[in-house]
Amino acid sequence: MSDILVMRDLVGGYGDANVLQGVSMRAAKAEIVVIVGPNGAGKSTAMKAIFGLLKVRGGSITVDGTEITGWEPNRIVEAGVCYVPQVSNVFREMTVHENLEMGAFLRTGDLSAAYDRVYTLFPDLKERRKALAGNLSGGQRQMVAMGRALMLEPKLLLLDEPTAGLSPRYMEQIFQICRDVRDTGVTIVLVEQHAKQALAFADRGYVLAAGANRHEGTGADLLADRDVADMFLGG
Amino acid sequence: MGALEIINFYLVPGIVIGSIYALGAVGITLVFSILRYAHLAHGDLATLGAFLALGAVTLGGVSPYVALPVAMVLTAAAAVMIDKAFYAYLRERPKIVTVMASLGVALMVRAIVQVVWGVDSETYTRGIVRPDVWFGIRLRDRELITIFAMIGLVLALHVFLQQSKWGKAMRAMSDNPDLALLSGVDNKKVVMLTWIIVGGLCAAAGVFLGLNYELKAMMGWTMLLPMFAAAILGGVGRVEGAVLGGLIVGIAEEMSTLFLPTEYKAATAFAILLLMLLVRPTGLLKGKVL
Repeated sequence: MSDILVMRDLVGGYGDANVLQGVSMRAAKAEIVVIVGPNGAGKSTAMKAIFGLLKVRGGSITVDGTEITGWEPNRIVEAGVCYVPQVSNVFREMTVHENLEMGAFLRTGDLSAAYDRVYTLFPDLKERRKALAGNLSGGQRQMVAMGRALMLEPKLLLLDEPTAGLSPRYMEQIFQICRDVRDTGVTIVLVEQHAKQALAFADRGYVLAAGANRHEGTGADLLADRDVADMFLGG
Repeated sequence: MGALEIINFYLVPGIVIGSIYALGAVGITLVFSILRYAHLAHGDLATLGAFLALGAVTLGGVSPYVALPVAMVLTAAAAVMIDKAFYAYLRERPKIVTVMASLGVALMVRAIVQVVWGVDSETYTRGIVRPDVWFGIRLRDRELITIFAMIGLVLALHVFLQQSKWGKAMRAMSDNPDLALLSGVDNKKVVMLTWIIVGGLCAAAGVFLGLNYELKAMMGWTMLLPMFAAAILGGVGRVEGAVLGGLIVGIAEEMSTLFLPTEYKAATAFAILLLMLLVRPTGLLKGKVL
C-alpha cells in the first residue's frame, strides 16, 4: 500500500512553545485515520501542522511522495490536500453553490462532474443550493464545508472535529459520508472528540497525549486496549 | 416655494452630489470589508483622479468624458502603487497603524497635486451651460451623465462581484479570509484587484465633482466625511447600502439649506452620521460582508 501522508517526528507549535513533541503518523491511500486523545494532546495542532498553519521546528511531512514541510497553504492545496477547519468553515454570506465554487477556485475547465459528485454525496445540499450557507443548520453547514473541500478532488482530506456540536443522527451521517468519500479513493485524516464512535468507524487510529504518540493501531484494537480506555474513554 | 423650485434647486443638486458621494462610499465600503481598515486617503485619491483628468483635458485637448476613463486607469495604478509602497508592509500590524498611514498618504497625495497643478481653482470647461428643461425640471447634461455613470459603474461592480470568479474571490476574502486562503485564493491578487476598483471609483467621484463644481486641491478631503457618513449610513460592507447612503447624505445636505445657512451643509452629514450611530449602528441595510 502506498502512503499518501507520512509525518515523521514532527516538532512545532504556536509562538515559542512546542505543542508537538515528536508526532509521527502515516495514512495509506483510501484509508480513514482518526486522531484521538485528551484535550490539549495536540490533535488539531498536528492537523494544522500538515497544512502549514504553524511553525514546524523539526521532522518532516510528505504527501504522496513530495515533501511539503514549510509550504504556504495555497501550495499545499495545489498539492491535493484540503483542510476543513472546525469552526467558521463556510462562507456564510455566500450561497451553498458559491461555497462549492470557491472550493474549486484553483480548478479550471468543466466542473459539472465535481458538482454532481458533491451533490450526490450530500443530497440535502442540492435542495438548498441557492440558500446562504450562514442560514443552514450546523449539520448542513458541516456538509457544505466538506463539500467545499471535496470540490478540489483532493488526495488527502483533513477534517478537524467534523462532528463537534452535532446531534448523533448527523454524526452518523457525516461518518457514512466519510466512508463513501474514502471508497472513491480519498485518504481522510480526522480529529475527533467522540473517541469511541470515531475509533469504531475508522480504519486506523492514533492516540496522542501531551504532544506525542501514545498508541496506534486499528480502531478495534485501540478500543480493546486497557490503557486507551483508562486514559480517556471513560473506563 | 413650489414643488418645482424644490426639485430644481434642492433635489436635483442633492441627487447629483449624492451620486458622487455614492461612488466614493462604495470604495470606502470595499476597502473596509476586504482590507478591514478605514482608508483616510480616499478623498485625496479622488482629488488626484480629478486633476489627472484635468491633465488629459489640457494636454490632450479631449473632453472631460474622454478624460474620465484615462483618469480612472491612472488613479487605479496610483492606488496599487500606494498600497505596495505603504500599506503592504503594515498588513500584519494592527489596523490602526494602516489608518494612520493612510492619513499620511492623504497629505502626501494632496501635496503632490498642489505642487503639480497649483492651489487655484480650476475647471474642465469654461462658460455657462444652459440646462435643458424636461416638464419644468431643469437638468444639465453633466448632471444626467453623473447620475447615469454612477448607476452604470455600480451595476457593473455588482455584476462583477456576483458573477465573476475573481469577484466571488473578493466576496470570499471579505466573508472568511482564512477559508479563502485554504481554498487557494491568492490574497495578494485580491488586494490588488480591490485597489484597482477603488482607485477607479475614486477617480470617477473626483472627476464628476470637478465637472459639476470646480477642481480644488481640497475638494476630495472635504468630501471624506460625507463619504464615510454615506458608507456607515448604508451599512458598511454593502455596496447597495453605500449608494443609498450617498444619495441620502447628498439630498439631506442640499435640503438642509432650506432651513439652515449654507455653511452648515457639511454639518448635516456629520449629524446624520451621529444619529445613525446612535439609532442603528449597523446601518440602514444591516452591515455585513460583501
